[in-house]
Amino acid sequence: MSQHKTITVALAGNPNAGKSSLFNALTGAHQRVGNFPGVTIEKHEGYLDYKNYRITVVDLPGTYSLTPYSPEEIVTRRFIIDEKPDVVVNVVEGTNLERNLMLTVQLMEMEVELLVALNMMDEVEQKGISIDIGQLEKLFGSHIVPISARNRKGLDDLLDHVVSISEGCIEIRKNKMTFSPEVEKAIDKIASLLSHERELDVAANHRWLAIKLLENDREVYTQVQKYPVWVKIELALQEAISECGILHSTDPEALITEDRHAFVRGAMQECVRLPKAARASVSDYIDAVVLNRVLGLPVFFLVVWAIFQLTFTLGKPLMEALAYSFGLLSETVAPHLPAGMVRSIFVDGVISGVGSVVVFLPNIVLLFMGLSFLEASGYMARAAFVIDKVMHRFGLHGKSFIPMITGFGCSIPAIMATRTLKSRSDRLATIMTIPFMSCGAKLPVYVLLAGAFFPPAMAANVMFGIYLLGIVIGLWTAWLLKSTVLKSDSEPFVMELPPYRWPTLTSVVFQARMKAVMYLKKAGTLILGAVILIWATSNFPRSSALDAELATETARIEASAVAPELKAEQVQKLEARIDAGQLEYSIAGRSGKLLEPLIRPLGFDWRIGIALVTGLAAKEVVVSTLGTIFSIGHAAEQTSLSEILRSEPGFSKATALSLMVFVLLYIPCVASVGVMKKEVGAWKPVLLYSAYVLAVAWIASFITYRLALLWM
Amino acid sequence: MKLSELKAGERAEVTAVAAEPAIRRRLMDLGLVRGTELEVLRFAPLGDPIEINCKGLLLTLRRNEAEGIAVNKLEAAEATQNGWPGLRRRHRFGKRA
Repeated sequence: MSQHKTITVALAGNPNAGKSSLFNALTGAHQRVGNFPGVTIEKHEGYLDYKNYRITVVDLPGTYSLTPYSPEEIVTRRFIIDEKPDVVVNVVEGTNLERNLMLTVQLMEMEVELLVALNMMDEVEQKGISIDIGQLEKLFGSHIVPISARNRKGLDDLLDHVVSISEGCIEIRKNKMTFSPEVEKAIDKIASLLSHERELDVAANHRWLAIKLLENDREVYTQVQKYPVWVKIELALQEAISECGILHSTDPEALITEDRHAFVRGAMQECVRLPKAARASVSDYIDAVVLNRVLGLPVFFLVVWAIFQLTFTLGKPLMEALAYSFGLLSETVAPHLPAGMVRSIFVDGVISGVGSVVVFLPNIVLLFMGLSFLEASGYMARAAFVIDKVMHRFGLHGKSFIPMITGFGCSIPAIMATRTLKSRSDRLATIMTIPFMSCGAKLPVYVLLAGAFFPPAMAANVMFGIYLLGIVIGLWTAWLLKSTVLKSDSEPFVMELPPYRWPTLTSVVFQARMKAVMYLKKAGTLILGAVILIWATSNFPRSSALDAELATETARIEASAVAPELKAEQVQKLEARIDAGQLEYSIAGRSGKLLEPLIRPLGFDWRIGIALVTGLAAKEVVVSTLGTIFSIGHAAEQTSLSEILRSEPGFSKATALSLMVFVLLYIPCVASVGVMKKEVGAWKPVLLYSAYVLAVAWIASFITYRLALLWM
Repeated sequence: MKLSELKAGERAEVTAVAAEPAIRRRLMDLGLVRGTELEVLRFAPLGDPIEINCKGLLLTLRRNEAEGIAVNKLEAAEATQNGWPGLRRRHRFGKRA
């Protein structure tokens, strides 16, 4: 093996400029996803070996600018300044040069080793746009390499340039863009003040700092404010502000942005020729339908419905197949293990624990295939546009809608889908709304209870009411969060509607694969641990008296002189009774009893308490636990659980309603809490949120129970 | 007059941008600076947000964000020629209506 030299390359560019395609094309499978320090922004890092070099590539988040207003932009500029990558590759969309070059200008100001990758050259040629690359290179002072990341064209040329730049073989001229005279004067003055400040890092780019100060950049402000020279700088800034006000009737920040636009526009006029065309584009026609005042909403709901169907209708058989194969695995493994504790740990604990993690995979993969298709095709931004008004009323963003709807299927992929939201506060608010969207696992509980206590027609109304209650409380929660703790930094709706494009199959599959791996690695371990823990609480400690009773009773039945079928039935009844006894004896059972005083006002006894504890593993477990625990002392002919519940004196219509409300609202299953922790990034908000949901669930159930007692 | 007061299909030139710093800067970075021409393309089915065409880009913004943008309405004839071909483009696919 020859010795590799390492080069670090950062990819910067606008959203949709094709950074990720380039990143994937360059690094292939050699990549890993992490987080940038301190923020929940994904950091994609990968490497490739080229000639004698190992090139590490970091995909920075897509940004339009380098302001301190969004975490993505802060991350991008901090990475460039602090990590000092050997080369910054600015990925620029050839079909949308003007807006993309605005970022290039700002990267130029940072005086980094800049290389421009002019992407989507295939589309540029197809559309008959001509770009004078030589002239552009002259104006911007950096090398420009035409590429097409999708078709993997021009990549070697790009890498050659990267190597040459990092080796110093080719020079970057680092042109300075000249601003208006007043701005230039102020920049020079502030930069020279900064250069006289001894405590300031000599390597710091004084001109850049000066520009940022004039742009009112709070990050740079706090950075510079601590130096004694600040007093003089402040004076210079005030002078610049008043001068710009008098001469240009605007502020330095606006003037600087205007100057950048003027520079880019000039460059465009000099170097780019667009074809003379007169017909509306395909995108315009699609938009005329999709964003139409009348058709817009129906199309939107159709798309959402399709995504939901794709995820859950198509996902269901796969999910069932997985569950079935895990059941099969248990059955095959069980006989080979010694009966009793060891078998129980492996079969009921580990195998079913792993099964409960893996079983969500089909949903996750299908949903993310659908979502990345929507995102890459350009419809996602339009969907947000169509529904934003409704969501904004509750302090949410148009993009919150799809994750919320997905929550009706399963909270886990839904919470993961909030990644499409840029602003952290919008994401948090949406994540915390999702568990109120009644998920598929809660449905069996409603079916059981509503079916047992209400006639069919009424049962449907009750279930509809439960779903509606979840939506109302969810939106109310979002509104509450956004008007209190998450008040700051709402994502503005100022965004671009990208042109429609056919997503490539590889990118769609790639996205889904990434999400699946992330779920298994990060959330899966946590979920597995929690599921095993809950299994343990409902199995330990075991009463040896009951075990002994089971053994002696079984022996007695076997020895008695009755027909074999009757024997089997008696053994079955015995086992059910012992199981229920063991459950009562376990930690879960004891906590159910411990909880009783707390849940008594809601109409629940300790047996329901147990079901609520085990239901933390997964909501459908509530049904099976109720089945086990209520079967005690019931005659064999009362086989159906709903009959048993109806005959229970402590279980009334009011209890059923109250329990449905509680199951709807109380802490979501451990799997979704695990994913929530992963997406939020810290335990504290998740725990606070859990306390909040418990409180809401208690209050809502209490009200329901009392009202139901009055009216029924 | 404000951008939010324009009707679909009307064209205007930006004269000033006022909004809270983060939004203002985003608007300006996407090209809404003084002197830029834009066209209101449509309103969302529920009346908000607004879609505009600004230098060939399709941008969306909420009504309350559009309220901070002062514009001069342009008459149809005034807006037709500007020397810059991109301005009249409906879209970056390069063709206009």
